[in-house]
Amino acid sequence: MTSEIISQLEKMVMDFDIDNAEEIAIKAIDSGVDPLNAASALTNAIRKIGDMFGAGELFLPDLVCASEVLKKSFPIIEAEIKKRGKEKKSLAKVVIGTVYGDIHSIGKGMVSTLLYAEGFEVIDLGVNVESSKFLEAIKMEKPNILAMSALLTTTANEQKKVIEGLVVEDIRDKVKIIVGGAPVNQEFADSIGADGYGANAPEAVKIVKHLLKIN
Amino acid sequence: MQKGFKRKFEPIKILNDSQVEQIHTASLALLEETGFRFENEKGLRLLSENGCIVDYETKIAKIPGFLVEECIRRTPSSFILRARDPEKSMMFGGNTFYFMNSCGARYADVETGTVTMPTMKQNNDAIIVSDALDTVNFFCSYCPYFEIYEVPPVMSCPVSCAQRHRFSSKPSRGAQATDTFIWETQIAQACNAQLLGCVEGAAPLALSEDAINAAFCYLKAGFPIYIASGSVMGGSHPVTIAGALVSHNAEMLAILVLLQCIKPGCGIIANNFVNAMNMQTGDLNFGAASIALHQMAYNQMWQGSYKIPVNNSGSAFSNSKKIDYQTAAEKLPLALTSVLSGTNLLTFHGGITAELAYNPILAVIDDDVANTIGRIIEGFDINDDTLGLDVIKKVGSTGTFLSTIQTKDFWRSENFTTTVFDKTSYNEWISTGKKTIVEKAREKMETILAEHEPEPLTENQDKEIDKILKEAEEYYKNKNLL
Repeated sequence: MTSEIISQLEKMVMDFDIDNAEEIAIKAIDSGVDPLNAASALTNAIRKIGDMFGAGELFLPDLVCASEVLKKSFPIIEAEIKKRGKEKKSLAKVVIGTVYGDIHSIGKGMVSTLLYAEGFEVIDLGVNVESSKFLEAIKMEKPNILAMSALLTTTANEQKKVIEGLVVEDIRDKVKIIVGGAPVNQEFADSIGADGYGANAPEAVKIVKHLLKIN
Repeated sequence: MQKGFKRKFEPIKILNDSQVEQIHTASLALLEETGFRFENEKGLRLLSENGCIVDYETKIAKIPGFLVEECIRRTPSSFILRARDPEKSMMFGGNTFYFMNSCGARYADVETGTVTMPTMKQNNDAIIVSDALDTVNFFCSYCPYFEIYEVPPVMSCPVSCAQRHRFSSKPSRGAQATDTFIWETQIAQACNAQLLGCVEGAAPLALSEDAINAAFCYLKAGFPIYIASGSVMGGSHPVTIAGALVSHNAEMLAILVLLQCIKPGCGIIANNFVNAMNMQTGDLNFGAASIALHQMAYNQMWQGSYKIPVNNSGSAFSNSKKIDYQTAAEKLPLALTSVLSGTNLLTFHGGITAELAYNPILAVIDDDVANTIGRIIEGFDINDDTLGLDVIKKVGSTGTFLSTIQTKDFWRSENFTTTVFDKTSYNEWISTGKKTIVEKAREKMETILAEHEPEPLTENQDKEIDKILKEAEEYYKNKNLL
């Protein structure tokens, strides 16, 4: 039964079964499966999806739909982990968001999903995030990485504003910062004092691992 | 008045009458049942007074079908945009067709594809080049570059508008971000010109506070308005062309309703910039078939059915980083299908690197392409002289038409003769240094910059613009944006 339900969890991600995700997750918990194994099944599946996306076998809608399956199922598994007093290990903590004035969420969502699949704890602040909200999250969550996205030329400078805010608050050296988005390039990232730049989602994950010296 | 090109045949239709009705009816249902978000209380109050059901908390107005149809009727089928030089004014609508200069965030080096921040000189030179090109009739907002070196971001739009008025007598579109419409309106008025005001939606189904404020400002100044709701199929619009037609159509109609409630009878040109998504990167996928089909159906709906002038922008850019085969292959099919299906204005010259860059050398090449497109839609005449049956009989099966008066008299009007395309023989190409189209366009650009003198502003107009820009700086300083 355990291996069957684990397979079912993996299959639901691989089949992009958004409609039944909650139900299957509840069924898994009710069956008595170790929630840590259930969580691994989900992250293994999303990692496979991420790899296939990186290899050009799957496309953006596939990645987004698979992450929707996780959004619906993972909180149920996670609640059970906490209930049983167990702890899910994460590689590191990432705070991510799209900067103020910008409501584009696709690129940020892709990075968020792939980081999650790699085993990072991801705190997604959403879109149109004011610089004060980023600073607040850095102070509260104490993440290893701050990832900021901007898709508009006019909003890319907001990334600079956040970094300047961290300098003023004297916490710039507490967190590594990566930036991304269509108007952003390495030159821009260097000019605003970011630690890294990812041209696309898989590259962003590589940069994060490189900055944190994770193999 | 700029003549533009005159389409001499019926536009291509890709929808049948019942499909047009289906899209229109679905758009009305969406506006009446789901509504549209207007992020401005003054606008919402006005819509409420005109029969919309308004929820001030969510800022959503549910727009009744009768109001939409009344506002379509109020919108004129043509209007004039007055330029500072009356000879450069434009009459939008009917079968008249013009080109609009494209734009880009930064300057693209045509040799390397590297994108850099343009200097003020690069910005001004690009305007002068377009002022000299016959097929550039009109400039879009923040054109040619979104950004200019050492100009603070919040001043980019007002400064860009000022430089376009200084270095060209052709008309321009205004912008709407961060109150720029206040200064751009004043700049145009200081030059005795009108702007085409700009009101751009934020798909799906919303219009920002800035856009609504811009609408009130530009209409108060008596300017006609360009409306748009730029989006991407699969992101802010449905991925299906039919679904994207409905959601985009509803957005454009909602904006039209607001404008006609503010100023009944105002002139409107309705843009289509609905893109496809690259499903590997999430970026815009220029040159995609779905963009062409969406534009063609849209032109049929708005220009053909609603009788409202249209603009298409799908051919404004290419994903290519350099001027190459891909640039042409992505731009040209979209341009031709737009024009053949009835657009009145086409955004075309100079844009490259997926909106991120611009180069005037490409604008020079696009001028040749635009002339050929214009020549195609002007069709051809059938009369005794052009049929020339007597000439055909005289040449018979052994002669040549090259030596006939008909050929001498008509060859120029039957084709546009390109200026920078390589039409040399192989030997001539070798002996003249194997020049590429880019090199020839660069030479033409350099000649333009050496010889072309845009119609200058008067000293007083120039000083007035300086004064307006200083006031803009003060305004933004007071708002802590500068």
